[in-house]
Amino acid sequence: MDQLLTQFISALRNADIRISTAETLDALSTVELVGYSDRRLLKDSLALVLPKTLDEKAAFDTCFDQFFSFGDRRSRPPPTASDGDAEPSGDAAGQAGNGQAGAGGDAQDQRTANARPGSPRPQQNTAIATDERGEPTATPGSGEMSPPQSALGQLLVRGNQMEITIAINTAGRQANVHEIEVFTQKGVYTRRIMDAMGHAELQQEIGRLAESADIPDRRRAVDLTHRRDWLRERVRDYVEHQFLLHADVTGRRLREDMLRDVRLSALEQRHHRMLHDLVLRMARRLVSEHSRRRKVFRRGQLHVPRTLRRNMKYDDAVFDLQWKSVKVDRPKVFAVCDVSGSVAAYARFMLMFLYSLEEVLPKVRSFAFSSDLGEVSALFARNTIDDGIAIALKQYGGGSTDYGQAFADFRRLCLDEIDKRATIIVLGDARNNYGDARTDVLKEFYDRSKRVIWLNPEPRSMWNTGDSEMRHYAPYCHQVDECSTLAHLERIVGRLLRAVA
Amino acid sequence: MVDHAEIAASVPSLQQHLEAHRYICSTQIATAVYLAYHLRKPVLIEGPPGVGKTELAKTTAEMFELPLIRLQCYEGLDEAKALYEWKYGKQLLYTQVLKQTLDEVLQGAKGFAESVKRLHEFGDIFFSAEFLEARPLLKALQEERGCVLLIDEVDKSDHEFESLLLEILSDYQVSIPEIGTVRARHEPPLVFLTSNNTREISDALKRRCLHLYIPFPDIELEQRIINARVPAIPPQLRSQLVRFIHGLRDLDLKKVPSISETIDWARTLLLLHAERLEPELVSNTMNVILKFQEDIENVQPELRTLTEKATKDSG
Repeated sequence: MDQLLTQFISALRNADIRISTAETLDALSTVELVGYSDRRLLKDSLALVLPKTLDEKAAFDTCFDQFFSFGDRRSRPPPTASDGDAEPSGDAAGQAGNGQAGAGGDAQDQRTANARPGSPRPQQNTAIATDERGEPTATPGSGEMSPPQSALGQLLVRGNQMEITIAINTAGRQANVHEIEVFTQKGVYTRRIMDAMGHAELQQEIGRLAESADIPDRRRAVDLTHRRDWLRERVRDYVEHQFLLHADVTGRRLREDMLRDVRLSALEQRHHRMLHDLVLRMARRLVSEHSRRRKVFRRGQLHVPRTLRRNMKYDDAVFDLQWKSVKVDRPKVFAVCDVSGSVAAYARFMLMFLYSLEEVLPKVRSFAFSSDLGEVSALFARNTIDDGIAIALKQYGGGSTDYGQAFADFRRLCLDEIDKRATIIVLGDARNNYGDARTDVLKEFYDRSKRVIWLNPEPRSMWNTGDSEMRHYAPYCHQVDECSTLAHLERIVGRLLRAVA
Repeated sequence: MVDHAEIAASVPSLQQHLEAHRYICSTQIATAVYLAYHLRKPVLIEGPPGVGKTELAKTTAEMFELPLIRLQCYEGLDEAKALYEWKYGKQLLYTQVLKQTLDEVLQGAKGFAESVKRLHEFGDIFFSAEFLEARPLLKALQEERGCVLLIDEVDKSDHEFESLLLEILSDYQVSIPEIGTVRARHEPPLVFLTSNNTREISDALKRRCLHLYIPFPDIELEQRIINARVPAIPPQLRSQLVRFIHGLRDLDLKKVPSISETIDWARTLLLLHAERLEPELVSNTMNVILKFQEDIENVQPELRTLTEKATKDSG
């Protein structure tokens, strides 16, 4: 099994791209076909196999770039492989060789690594050393350096890119970096990985060397400090990379779970964008759940007239049987929303929800009121949902609530259209400012329509307190529900769809 | 007879061959054909209308010199029209003919049981391949040399039809209750499905397909497309009109002009012997690129700035 690919796929899954096992297998055969050598071709190919919607393709793009960018970072040369090493390189390599099994290849590696950046720039080490801001110990000059003692120090001095990358990865696994959840944890994980790599030991060595009277020791201390800082950068990059792959979404999922259950009025403006996505996603799920059951066949009941008609061409020999079926009509939904200050936030999300369901609920008409009521359906036809809601709130919000007046207006506007297929959803807190409740109008709707559903954003315990008329309205509703969170809303709309389909 | 393996040897080669058949495409599109050919997987093509989704399937068929079998989807499309149907008339006719020979068959049969037994020997002749009317999907499987199967606007069909497609898309086979399983004869067909995204295609179907999204092309690519389709148009005008169309696509329109509209417009301008874009000329030919009166009215005030921008950018 191709490990790189499986890792990539798990990163994609993290980014909310749904990938099935079958698709993983497809991706494997794709990679077998195109190989890893041509990055562009690989990206194009995998983009065809793995993501299956436009959103997923966008997510795939960023994910691919992030995941395979690590290769680019790896190729960056280390900053301080300088002439200081070049001179005693045979010596250092010999040292490393003694401590390391099978070091022949390593030594070879190292010599080439040192020769490359070292020889053309003999001044580099000094330049960097004087760069250190005013640290007196930092100016022992270039020249011979004593070999490092700690394992991490040796690793860094060897400067083998591959080895260091592997070490970081191993340490990362030890530190469980894939469990990172929020960005504030980046520092913690960076430190943990450094520790797992033997940072403490290196630190001690640097301390000891810096105190030493020996010039080569002090030089080594400066050198190791540079190398340590460089390593820390690398580890930070690594953690950043892991964070992007693993955590970004876990964090988002956490927030989304929270958002579903929090009272809608308590949400702040900055959450709206995310809520919008969430509502759309919930709506899409409802759509796919309910779009299938449009035709219900009454199995086993012959549709005699149609069968005869269809079989006339066969000389009335009955070949092609026609069965009775019931075509389920799309429900007509009338959403009547209170958009006065206290309820506006809820109205916003309910309308958003209803209009996201266009595919299964094509006949939604919406009305907004605080005192006077007007139809706002047209606003949503012309504008995006967000703009439509904003305009509706501006036009109708802000008055003092008068349910009696609103119901009377609604009756005048579309009593004729309310028939046995109509579902009326009233969203409001039923706080009528002690005005006339006009329950008679609601009763009329109740008698004529299929369902009247009252959604009240207040908790049940608050109903019927003060000026709330809930107890008077409730008898004329088929269903009365509390609706203050997205989870409520989803459940209610789901039930609505089930009831009508 | 063309060598399929040679054409599909690499992505650039495919791109060249498609171009030779006047289909200018991005590497992404060529990669899709490449994978479809080598992995033998269906390609689901999505994108705004008029970006050449159907055209890709047609050109691929042309390029490989394979027959193109096209199934246009619509609401209510069912098995009988897409997959197979029994030839009822023929069955009926044969029954009539057989009625007369029935006596001969039953001659000498003793008792009811034996008569029935003899009739059984006729068995399922009426439900054999000879009485089967192959519809596009079945026909595609039966093609000797393989073919290109285009299932157009699959989003217009019902959910039930999608489920029907699953078997043929994943295994290149069809189960007919009376006969058994029909497999692709030699070479499985290259399958292209197109969708205009009027509804979400089910996950099961998507899982079995490669998914290609064709967006509107960038300015450079669209110029090449126009060049391939309307070669006679002067380069300066071509550049201007493509830029103008791109400007239009950024506006909030009911229906943004697609590539086919750009091509139509280029032909129109050629016919009018236009040398360069002038606001008046644009205004007069607006109805070629915009198909809604509302859009035309909305664009009217912007015309001058759009035209100026297009002519300036193209230098």
